[in-house]
Amino acid sequence: MADDGSASNRRDPIKSSVGNVAGQRRRQQAVTVAKERRELLVRAKRLCRVGTNGGDDEDALVENEMMIDEEQPVLEAQTIKAVEELKSAVQSQGKGAMQKRVTALRELRRLLSKSEFPPIDAALSSGAVPLLVQCLSFGSPDEQLLESAWCLTNIAAGKPEETKALLPALPLLIAHLGEKSSAPVAEQCAWAIGNVAGEGEELRNVLLSQGALPPLARMIFPDKGSTVRTAAWALSNLIKGPESKAAAQLVRVEGIVDAILRHLKKTDEEIATEIAWIVVYLSALSDIATSMLLKGGILQLLVERLATSNSLQLLIPVLRSLGNFVSVDPKAMLTILIGGENTEENVINVLAKCLRSEHRVLKKEAAWVLSNIAAGSIEHKRMIHSSEAMPLLLRLLSTSPFDIRKEVAYVLGNLCVESAEEGNARPRIIQEHLVSIVSGGCLRGFIDLVRSPDIEAARLGLQFIELVLRGMPNGEGPKLVEGEDGIDAMERFQFHENEELRVIANSLADKYFGEDYGINE
Amino acid sequence: MAMEMAVDAIGELGFPYWNPLRRRFPPDSPFFASGNVERELLAKQVALDLTEDEINNLQKIVETETRKISCPIAGCPERLKSLDNFEDHYKTRHTASCSVCSRVYPTSRLLSIHISEAHDSFFQAKVARGYDMYECLVEGCGLKFKNYKARHRHLVDKHKFPTTFEFFKRTQLSKKRREKLQRQRVSKLKHGEDKEEASSDAMEVEDKASLDGLVSALSTLTTSDTTPSNVSFGRRHGRGLTSVPRSVHREKPTNSLSTPGPKT
Repeated sequence: MADDGSASNRRDPIKSSVGNVAGQRRRQQAVTVAKERRELLVRAKRLCRVGTNGGDDEDALVENEMMIDEEQPVLEAQTIKAVEELKSAVQSQGKGAMQKRVTALRELRRLLSKSEFPPIDAALSSGAVPLLVQCLSFGSPDEQLLESAWCLTNIAAGKPEETKALLPALPLLIAHLGEKSSAPVAEQCAWAIGNVAGEGEELRNVLLSQGALPPLARMIFPDKGSTVRTAAWALSNLIKGPESKAAAQLVRVEGIVDAILRHLKKTDEEIATEIAWIVVYLSALSDIATSMLLKGGILQLLVERLATSNSLQLLIPVLRSLGNFVSVDPKAMLTILIGGENTEENVINVLAKCLRSEHRVLKKEAAWVLSNIAAGSIEHKRMIHSSEAMPLLLRLLSTSPFDIRKEVAYVLGNLCVESAEEGNARPRIIQEHLVSIVSGGCLRGFIDLVRSPDIEAARLGLQFIELVLRGMPNGEGPKLVEGEDGIDAMERFQFHENEELRVIANSLADKYFGEDYGINE
Repeated sequence: MAMEMAVDAIGELGFPYWNPLRRRFPPDSPFFASGNVERELLAKQVALDLTEDEINNLQKIVETETRKISCPIAGCPERLKSLDNFEDHYKTRHTASCSVCSRVYPTSRLLSIHISEAHDSFFQAKVARGYDMYECLVEGCGLKFKNYKARHRHLVDKHKFPTTFEFFKRTQLSKKRREKLQRQRVSKLKHGEDKEEASSDAMEVEDKASLDGLVSALSTLTTSDTTPSNVSFGRRHGRGLTSVPRSVHREKPTNSLSTPGPKT
């Protein structure tokens, strides 16, 4: 087990020591690369540049420069050669054969780890995979297993058809996840499997049917170590769905819920991040998992993480998990809101912290969570309305990007209306909230939403305008709306494609701005 | 969710009132897309050592290149890259305004239909003589009707327009438009070109039409001595005219009126 200090450089970011110019070149190329590899990003695969055993680092450092295009053909030629070497090494017998194999594997591995565009295609077409599978056979020395799994990992990090090429290797990779395997080997296999799972639903199903989930789940039981982190990441890829069966299977693994809660509570942020993603998928896909986690007190843990962490990587899945729980079970929300002793950990304050963040995703998803809380009971609405979140929301409605504004609109509107009971066609307005929110200056923001091409946003804006027209005291509504160019905005809908919006806008105009409007000015 | 509400919550207005509802999204919903991208860009950092600024820029590049907005105006095929672009597009393509009464239409065709029906006594003369003058508003349909109501029925029955739809809306102009007319009057008087001076008393008619409420304006349209003195196809904010205005002055006898030719 190498879960000690030497683990610290296993997954560290590779910082090249080359000077600034090269750094600039790398950065420019990185921008191009990112644009071209967008599909790769979305597929959640990770290239392994430094292996799990921490050795050979000198090689990694020296060779870690981005290849420019002219060097690619050279790389491919070298790869083909390396595969040939491997072929002969696999066939050879007797003394020194093992060393030959490891050397050949290592060479191939280096070639596959060098650049942002590993010569995967060259490796595949020269028949690397069957050879690598052979190198995974039971009883092989650890070094061999490790190098082979590493090659497979990077092959799997490429395009879809390249990842699919790993199919023959899967059963063996899964087998080496076992508790008797050495930790670096198990981790490298988990990494390869994680890349395969990240490719798509079809491959996920194959992995599940081959029994990948239980051994992977067991790998997250230890308290710490990079193995735990890699396994958790791979596991999150495996259960992400959209089908729920993997999530359902995971929650049945004995002790898994406890392990998850334990990690969320104590572990370092890197592991907690991957665990949080597991929670995201469990809370979205499995009711059983949801209730078990809630019973285990997960909300408090999520709130604590949100309050104390500043790592965007961690905050995103934690916030989203919280959002998933809130969207499913309002009773759970009620418990934590009413029963919260420590103000710092108060859910709403923690969401306000996210609203204050400079990160777009946090603001948007925090507003979404607040909108669901605001769709709850009167107490919930009052709590939000009297909290530090209010001025933030009002400001965000006028200044932030569109997707955030839409979520904020949901919060503000939900605060002003009682949730309708059955059969009551027109939900009651909470005038106190409506008046205070409108005087906080939100009307302009809603009218801007009316002008947007997004149907949902336009509808929200019109619905809020209706609240103002109907609910503001002393008939002030129409003047207020007109003062913010609301009539102008509504006139746009005369020829709008969407019939519903045409009807809404026209009926508002007819009712509140008809012939008699403004006669007595 | 709100679409169900439109059908269910039919109040007196046929209106989908705001109803607070919890919203839940599946893990692969586009709602979460930007957060997911963030995860992978940050993961990439391990391999590429980017600064946070670069990551933010990358995310913008990734997002903006794929997200395009379709223009929501019926029949417009345009797709726009950003909200700003959409605003520009809307202003240039979908705001044709009548210089007589300042109503705004999303296409020049609809504008010209409006002008014929609302401000052209030649049109009214033909209607009075029994011709089918009221065109169907849907481009390509081609049918015409003897009166406004009949056309309206056709729009509802054949083209599924809502029954509350009114092509010629009897509502008060918005404050903005009233103010704009005010400004127009002032600026036109300032320039003092012949055309404008001659139409100064025509401006009074416009003022009257727009500011005194619609009922009186409607009544002036039914008699044949209503003559719009200045009809032009103009952009809302521009001064340049895209086609030659056929101006008709009040003093001239009515039979020298020429119908404004619609230019699309």
